[in-house]
Amino acid sequence: MDKEFSFIIIDDSELDCFVIQKVIERAFKNLDIISFQNANNALEAIKEQGVKTKPTIILLDIQMPLMNGFQFIEEFEKFSPQIQDCYTVIILSILSATRAPADIHTEFNKRIVGSIIEKPFTIEKLLSLLKNMGLADEKIVLSGKKLLP
Amino acid sequence: MAEKIKILYVDDEPGNLIGFKASFRVDYHVLTAVNIPQAINYLDNNPDIKIIFCDQRMPGKTGVDFFEEIRISHPLPVRILLTAYTDVESIIEAINRGNIFRYVKKPWAEADILSSIDEANKFYTANSMLMVKNEELQKAYAELTKFAYSVSHDIRGPLSGMLGAINLAGEIDDIEEIKEMLFLMGKSLTKLDTYILSMHDYYSLQRGELKITNIDFNKIIDDLKAMYMVISKSNKIVFTTTVDQGEVFRSDEVPLRLILNNLLSNAFKYQDKKSTNKSVEVSIEVHKNQAIIYVKDTGIGILGNHIGEIFDLFYRANFQEAGSGFGLYNVKSAILKLGGNIEVNSVLHKGTTFKIIIPSI
Repeated sequence: MDKEFSFIIIDDSELDCFVIQKVIERAFKNLDIISFQNANNALEAIKEQGVKTKPTIILLDIQMPLMNGFQFIEEFEKFSPQIQDCYTVIILSILSATRAPADIHTEFNKRIVGSIIEKPFTIEKLLSLLKNMGLADEKIVLSGKKLLP
Repeated sequence: MAEKIKILYVDDEPGNLIGFKASFRVDYHVLTAVNIPQAINYLDNNPDIKIIFCDQRMPGKTGVDFFEEIRISHPLPVRILLTAYTDVESIIEAINRGNIFRYVKKPWAEADILSSIDEANKFYTANSMLMVKNEELQKAYAELTKFAYSVSHDIRGPLSGMLGAINLAGEIDDIEEIKEMLFLMGKSLTKLDTYILSMHDYYSLQRGELKITNIDFNKIIDDLKAMYMVISKSNKIVFTTTVDQGEVFRSDEVPLRLILNNLLSNAFKYQDKKSTNKSVEVSIEVHKNQAIIYVKDTGIGILGNHIGEIFDLFYRANFQEAGSGFGLYNVKSAILKLGGNIEVNSVLHKGTTFKIIIPSI
């Protein structure tokens, strides 16, 4: 499969970063995946990268010390629209939208935040989201799924 | 006996004021005002006035006007109106506008005044106790909300991470990868364990009574030295301690140890890993019935705009995973419990110094 898109993982937990990266690596071969345990570093990297040709999916944890997911999005919105268009944000949340305070759904700009995945992260959750968002066609979803036991 | 009840009596006739004071000054602390500005001045300077007696007929403003005026600025004192006129209109007005507790007919009988003071005092006590309880409840409730939110994150977070890792483990064949993951799982579990231990500290600090004993700071410091010897050696952090205790110091040892342990653990944890000149220094001086404690480190420091928040529950000013957001909050609770105070001075990339003063009890 081509490098259709790439991933950025932002999560303060080392274990979560590791697991999410491995899960994605196993489903899609040869994709660029970068993890950040610090949202600030992720912002720096996005800034440096500038406008890209391939879309990138940002998997973003909400509860992080110093700069949380909400603050990250606030900063991200300051980038030029050309840069913002290269990215789609998927929120990783401990509590699903139905259980979490209403802020998660109302807070986010729909254009930037594609959807929410409740932890623990699994490839099924990601694939069905990608499909719904039109980011992956049936073929990719199937090729991803084929790797699942 | 408890302190005398403070009563303010407002009347435009000096004769009445003198008579009132003469009758009740033995049993009560009586303040008298001949006009409303003087009365308000008394109220401003004596927030502990519990009961106000006021004459209805005065030049300029009536007693009801006065009560209405102070309703917002001085809501606590219980109001009693004295009047010779007992028409229904003025009674209704006094109750509705003046928010009065009792109505005493003039000329007053001593027994009437005494019984109304007694009733008013009970009312005041019940009211203020209710307010204190209410404040405590509100504080507890606000903390509970924070607590529930944090617990769901800080307990469910590591758990869901572990669950994800276990799911993944079944699909990984490479033993090295499994080992790496197990190591990270261990770190997550340690964090969860620390969180639960701190939660226990939090509860014992909120609820427990003080157990006062003679404190030997030399003994406490010796124990801490033993505890931190390993990390001091392995991370090449110079650990120096000085204790100057020439007198008896009485306090509760458990919160004292909690304070020192939390501050030291932070001092060792938040060192600059790249620095070649790492040190942690504790000095304790007991002098004139108080202990002055300094905990000084050459660590990463705290950004100026975070300093105001570091003692807040669940606040974490660092990316390092180890923080639970309980540590400094517990330190502050423990210090408040022991009647002391804490100051912090920090320079980013240079280090942090905490100064704690705790009185001997």
